[in-house]
Amino acid sequence: MKKKEHLFLKDLKNNRVKWLMILPAAIVVILMCYIPMSGIVLAFKEFNYHDGIFGSPWVGVKNFAYFFQSGKAWTVTRNTVLYNIAFLCVNTFLQITCAILLSELAGKWFKRISQSVMFLPYFISWVVVGAFIYNMFNYEFGAVNGFLRSVGMEPLDVYSNKAAWPVILIVVSAFKNVGYGTVMYLASIVNIDGEMFEAADLDGATMWQKIRHITLPCIRPTVVILLLMAIGTIMKGDFQMFWQVTGNNPMVMEVTDVIDTYVTRSLLDLQEFGMTSAAGLYQSGLSFILVLIANFAVKKVEPDYALF
Amino acid sequence: MKRKTRICALLMTLLLGIGTLSGCGSKPQESNTPGTTPEGDSTPVTDGGGEADTPDISKEVTLTMYLIGDRPVDNDEVFAKINEKLKAEINAVIDVKFMSWGEYEQKYPLIFASGEDWDIIYTADWCFYNAQATKQGFWEITQEALETYAPMTAETIYPEAWEQAKVNGQVFMLPMNYKEITSYVYMARGDLMDKYDIASVASLDEAEAYMDAIVANESTLIPLDVGSDYDKLFVFDRMWEKANWESQEKVNSIGTWQAMGSVSELDDTALVKGNYDQAEFQGVIERLKDWKDRGFWSKNAVVNTQNNTESFQAGKSALALCNVNTAKSIYAQMSEEHPEWDVRVFDAQEGVPPVLNSYLANGMSIFSKSKNPERALMALDYLRNDVEINNLFCYGIEGKHWEASGDNTLVSLPDSANYAYDGNCNWGVRNDASWRVVEGGIPGLEALNDLWRESARSKRYQTFVFDDTNVKNEIAAITEIFNTDYKLLGLGFTDDPAGDIAKLKEKMVTAGADTVYSEMQKQAQEFLSASGN
Repeated sequence: MKKKEHLFLKDLKNNRVKWLMILPAAIVVILMCYIPMSGIVLAFKEFNYHDGIFGSPWVGVKNFAYFFQSGKAWTVTRNTVLYNIAFLCVNTFLQITCAILLSELAGKWFKRISQSVMFLPYFISWVVVGAFIYNMFNYEFGAVNGFLRSVGMEPLDVYSNKAAWPVILIVVSAFKNVGYGTVMYLASIVNIDGEMFEAADLDGATMWQKIRHITLPCIRPTVVILLLMAIGTIMKGDFQMFWQVTGNNPMVMEVTDVIDTYVTRSLLDLQEFGMTSAAGLYQSGLSFILVLIANFAVKKVEPDYALF
Repeated sequence: MKRKTRICALLMTLLLGIGTLSGCGSKPQESNTPGTTPEGDSTPVTDGGGEADTPDISKEVTLTMYLIGDRPVDNDEVFAKINEKLKAEINAVIDVKFMSWGEYEQKYPLIFASGEDWDIIYTADWCFYNAQATKQGFWEITQEALETYAPMTAETIYPEAWEQAKVNGQVFMLPMNYKEITSYVYMARGDLMDKYDIASVASLDEAEAYMDAIVANESTLIPLDVGSDYDKLFVFDRMWEKANWESQEKVNSIGTWQAMGSVSELDDTALVKGNYDQAEFQGVIERLKDWKDRGFWSKNAVVNTQNNTESFQAGKSALALCNVNTAKSIYAQMSEEHPEWDVRVFDAQEGVPPVLNSYLANGMSIFSKSKNPERALMALDYLRNDVEINNLFCYGIEGKHWEASGDNTLVSLPDSANYAYDGNCNWGVRNDASWRVVEGGIPGLEALNDLWRESARSKRYQTFVFDDTNVKNEIAAITEIFNTDYKLLGLGFTDDPAGDIAKLKEKMVTAGADTVYSEMQKQAQEFLSASGN
């Protein structure tokens, strides 16, 4: 123990600049992630305002019962996982495609402009996107239905149509996120050694061959790392998106309710802090296991790319 | 490399440890403070209460008061006057904050948890009173405190109101000192009625005919824009109450409304059933479905954030369904702003006796973590009992918003559009002693009032309070069903009423409805034997 401490101190001394550099990040993580984690105890308590988080009486695992009793646990877990897998696949595919297309484009101005235009939706708040959707699909006065009526077709009743929502959600998710990811992949494409492409040109490779054999293999580490990070959040629904875009609509909730919206809604309806923390803890527990499994799998296949 | 990761791991564990420790270390102190406050508070009461009746008001305080609704235009002006007097009397001023009707169900519980510093809030049996009281969200108002800090209230409060406010023997609310009848009315557009030759909109059938005419001819208007949190079940309630009143069993709701329980008032065993198991339910849902299909409300009604009166005021809908107090408070303003609409008000009770409200239907409470609960109680005492302050709060500034026309009548002046009569969430401080009714408000209202007053009654289980301690998990699961499946049925969103009712029942049984209902029945029987009726 003494020896270890000694080594640690020595390391601290030798690499003090590096330690200093990590300090701000460490402080943020501790303040924002570790300290609030003590709130987990709420999941095992019956909260009241008077005694506060730590003073309220313990109730064991009773709080978890409601989540499963409500018959919602399976639906929301399934929705969360399926939506995130769909977002992950669709967005990654579109991001890589767009990045490669942009990198192959010659016109500098066109490239810059299209990149910015694609990036722009990332800054639009979900509340606004929700308003877009409402004004497009609203049955009585929506833009889409207005158009359909004017050309003599039957209006669509989107807000009660369960089949429409997975598509809408996937499309708006792509709308918001593709630009951001594209820039990341573009950066990693730009970093590829240009000599490889020159060599390939000399050997008479076609553009498709260059993409297939140089670009894609070279950005593989980026893809794997981004995928790994995304898997960690697969149990976390993008709350803002599901809440704002669907307008908390009970009619299609069976296909749009994710753990996060469910937790928020029950908190607002019931004011049972313990019960909703229990649902949140269930979500975090599953996330944790998923990250471990994903990392383990990557370690088996490509040990170099594993996160830890 | 290996060693480094080990060091990192060590460091992280260390930090984690510190994190948890600091979390544990600081919080218990915090949680101790509120624990000791009430004791600390009660000491001066016992110390000073014995000899000196005048509490210490040497320090000026600002009390934050939460009300529900939209901020009236002249609110600040009115409260400036109230504060002037309060400052002189008790050295305190009130700062008013509003939360809108569209979102109060969400915001209300949150401000208790947010750690925000506030003091007074509007509450009611339908507005979280029990829920927050059992979670110790409110400051307990003891008999002693009442006598010390609110002597006027202690003298004037109706004893039965004080009794009704008790939750497990403790009082957390000052209920209104006012006998109120809740009855519903339709507000319709006279111009449209004349245009389509509709003589009256005073029943479901007549409303149906009126809305049919709107759907057929006025494509820019939604006939009745219901569906928000606030009014999602308004139409259902009208139909449901009428059907039950006209039936043999006289079924009426009981307990927490989210639990959807009801009981026949004639049944002394108090057998509680889900609404979905009652004979009239399916017929009502079928009619709602028919109305929805005919476009009487929006196909997106379930995502509405604006309630039907707001829509009606904004000219987006042709009919409003609301309680008579809401109608009173917006009638003058609407006639002023849009005389061409010729707004007309009709009875929506259709022979169903209006409910003689419990006193808890409106009241004011003090936040349990308020820094100045005593001063808040003193302020409430003045808001309730000081005629000048009470009138200001309830009707606005005399000579600007209203003027007296008799001992207990008043006339609304044009400026009342900016501070409506009895429409400012002042309901919690209404006091029969200083109450005035509007003269020449809604035409024909007096006759309706007489009719309602004659037939008004208290429901048999009006004051029954369901204690859900033993069935919390079931209630939680049921509330989720109430807010989704039940709300949809209540707005007629179903393609197959019988099938969806069966599905609702199945879900409810899975969620443990039977346990809840039998617990409710047990408590209802106790209630009956205790109250002797």
